[in-house]
Amino acid sequence: MKHNTVIIGGGLAGLVAGISLQQAGQETAIVSTGQNALHFFSGTFESLQEAPERMNTLFNEAGIRLQYSPGVRLMPLGTFRESALSLEDIGLFTTPKFARKVLIVNFMGYHDFFSSFLAEGLEKQGMQCRIRFLNLPEMDKLEQSPSEMRSVQIARTMDRIWEKVVQEVRVLLKDEDAVVLPQVFGLQDTAVPGRIRQGIPARVVFAGTLPPSVPGIRTQMLLKRRYEVLGGTYLMGDEALSSHVHEGVVHSIVTKNLDNHYLEADNFILATGGFFSKGLRSNPFEITEPVFGLDVVYDADRNAWYDKAFAADQPYMHYGVKTDESLHGIADGKPFKNLYAIGSILGGTRPELGSGAGLAIKSAFAAVDEILRRPAPQDDKGIRQDAKDASLVD
Amino acid sequence: MNPNEFDVIIIGGGITGAGTQRDCAMRGLRTLLVERSDIATGATGRNHGLLHSGARYAVNDAESARECIEENMILRRIAAHCIDETDGLFITLPEDDLGYQQTFVEACQSAGINAEIIDPELARRLEPSVNPELIGAVKVPDGSVDPFRLCAANMLDAKLHGGQVRLYTEVTGFIREGDTVKGIHTRSRQTGEEVDYYAPVIVNAGGIWGHQIAEMAGVHVGMYPAKGALLIFAHRVNNVVINRCRKPSNADILVPGDTVCIIGTTSTRIPFEECNNVAVTPDEVTLLITEGAKLAPSLSSTRILRAYAGVRPLVSADNDPTGRNISRGIVCLDHEERDGLKGFVTITGGKLMTYRLMAEMATDTVCRKLGVDKSCETATTPLPGSEERSYEAVAQKIWEAPSTAQKAAAARMGTSALRIRGNNPYDDALICECEEVSVGEINSAIDRLEVSTLTDLRRRTRIGMGTCQGEFCACRAASLLAKAHGCVEKERADLANFLNERWKGNFPIGWGDTLREAEYTQWVYKHVLGL
Repeated sequence: MKHNTVIIGGGLAGLVAGISLQQAGQETAIVSTGQNALHFFSGTFESLQEAPERMNTLFNEAGIRLQYSPGVRLMPLGTFRESALSLEDIGLFTTPKFARKVLIVNFMGYHDFFSSFLAEGLEKQGMQCRIRFLNLPEMDKLEQSPSEMRSVQIARTMDRIWEKVVQEVRVLLKDEDAVVLPQVFGLQDTAVPGRIRQGIPARVVFAGTLPPSVPGIRTQMLLKRRYEVLGGTYLMGDEALSSHVHEGVVHSIVTKNLDNHYLEADNFILATGGFFSKGLRSNPFEITEPVFGLDVVYDADRNAWYDKAFAADQPYMHYGVKTDESLHGIADGKPFKNLYAIGSILGGTRPELGSGAGLAIKSAFAAVDEILRRPAPQDDKGIRQDAKDASLVD
Repeated sequence: MNPNEFDVIIIGGGITGAGTQRDCAMRGLRTLLVERSDIATGATGRNHGLLHSGARYAVNDAESARECIEENMILRRIAAHCIDETDGLFITLPEDDLGYQQTFVEACQSAGINAEIIDPELARRLEPSVNPELIGAVKVPDGSVDPFRLCAANMLDAKLHGGQVRLYTEVTGFIREGDTVKGIHTRSRQTGEEVDYYAPVIVNAGGIWGHQIAEMAGVHVGMYPAKGALLIFAHRVNNVVINRCRKPSNADILVPGDTVCIIGTTSTRIPFEECNNVAVTPDEVTLLITEGAKLAPSLSSTRILRAYAGVRPLVSADNDPTGRNISRGIVCLDHEERDGLKGFVTITGGKLMTYRLMAEMATDTVCRKLGVDKSCETATTPLPGSEERSYEAVAQKIWEAPSTAQKAAAARMGTSALRIRGNNPYDDALICECEEVSVGEINSAIDRLEVSTLTDLRRRTRIGMGTCQGEFCACRAASLLAKAHGCVEKERADLANFLNERWKGNFPIGWGDTLREAEYTQWVYKHVLGL
């Protein structure tokens, strides 16, 4: 079967593009390895100053509530970061001092939530803090296994016993006007964070943990569900290996699971992410894009890839594939007619689109608009055989 | 008694200093060790971690070879928990001269090293990762040794014998009266506090920095800093040490250690100013990979975890102004005899393998000067943790059915693992998943092993040394350190330093999976955690 658009990469950019195209009446498929940057999503859409109406609607329809409130958010190590737009359960404050006294609650034996760092950060802002640990019998099983006390495992348990947490926190609460809890609530049941807020008579703030990010995984699940409800085909656990191209038109791609079948489409969107997600590949001599062999913008001298300071802005993070104005991927200096690159595979090559989650969303909408504006390229019958022989990009 | 007065002060917290303090303390002396940084930060922690059989030196330096094999056998007894008895191979490749093998084996045997020529086919079976093209193989009793653990165990035993240790304490000058050294001026690099310490004998065990320490005391020791670069691979590719059977050269030793393996090394003379900050160059990386793949071809497709370099403290023979007559042997100088400076001893040269012998020689000199008549027992008394030779037996004693993580802890800690036995059910939680280091092990290191920073903790427990290079364990462990030291603010800075230090060894080999991991870590710390 031939799709209108095939999207390679099932993270934030790929899903937003897929949902938008399905809504516009296209038949699409997403090829996803299963891992993507939403698994370590901070919950904040950096570089988006406000939610475009379109984004708000798309997320709302998927069951994801956003909040727009320019100010600061509390980071997991107790610092504050400027932020305007985030998932609803991430606390945004107009000033860092969001309370007078704060109760920080963690679980016994959970090392991925940094209560002492949080307390120090809050105290610096003039808030008094008290740290307490919950010891719930329902978590005994997790505690017994040395590597089970991780965010997702705890979140699965919390989906069942969150009411117990509310009761325990109510008992612990003295005169604090705010409670900080780890972001391990509402993995499956999105209403849980809201219910916890209602159940505790103080301002409830959920602070981040080490990845995997529970709000990120929830976002991924809800967007994927929405995409599938709209009729999209999500090929989970598959990976694009190579492509068939002819005269600047991508005809099909080859994936790991579909063996000898080609995934054909009028348009292709490449949303495979940066280095970690394997959208970009590197060796000591070069940086490449493996599926289409797109041109990559990077420094020829490897010594220029890095800054020696860990925390500095790293040059390699700005490397990405080359595109034209309309986000068409470019190979050997020539843009493809029906291939668009979106999300973090662009790196910093399109600074006007921002970075991180903001870049994912802006570039996804831009590519979708381009696709819907243009008529589908003529399907030249007989290309497949030629392309297979002539220009299999490995 | 003035609490700042000792029988002997040892300057330098490398393996030689720690070993010397242990020996002195075991002979009943009141000892103080001062170290400007952490233990094992110089050449001690920046080498292969090879438990030399001595075979490498057999042809050219029979004395070093004999010292090595004797110490090799001693360390297996006294430092069992620091040692992996892997054995080693010296392989001949088609491009090498097979005739050298005979010379080599004869030299080994006359040095007392059990070197046995084996069939190349047997070598391939003993070590499946070895270059299958090999045309000759000799089996020798090489092994691997964890130098951090060895150094920490020596320091711990010195403390158990009443020794005192001041880490992050720099010697700023010597207190001299005429031709006699009476003590040292020190300054804490953590608090800035300045303290004077006194002792009738002061031992300079500063490794390559011993050169400057001697200058400060007013004597000259001619040293030649020789940089050696190494690469750590992310898997334990080989289980047997692989060497080239030829005249010692660059990148011809591959040593397995814990979960990784290490190829090295190179040898480049560097100026003294560079000793505090040695960096690995791209050329060295290329050389190490190319030569390493000749020992084990799969290295060319194995992820590299880190690049690092150390500085060998080579010493020129006395009164040789040209420095041509450089020895890798042990140099123990009584400066009273040599320079007329009383109360000052330098112990240098040598190698990780011969640290115990060096310590014995230095301690003999100290005792002679103090008129103490007590013999050395370090060759027969196990280090703390090594009272039991098999880590599996230790694990069995503690846990009924030990998990792999518990076995790993027993292998690292030896009998010291008895101290973390299930006092608290939460102690089993893993902080570092790559190396399977638990809360209990980390807290035990904090309690007993003088831990100030995360990097110190890494040297004691291996956290952050595995495939993820400290991605998650760093901030988990930072919480534990913050709690132990009662200071979050300092810990925040410490965490940043730790990540910087890890990155320093990553970017020279920053491509492929290493770059993937780095991108993830840098993104998470910056954008998700907000460090």
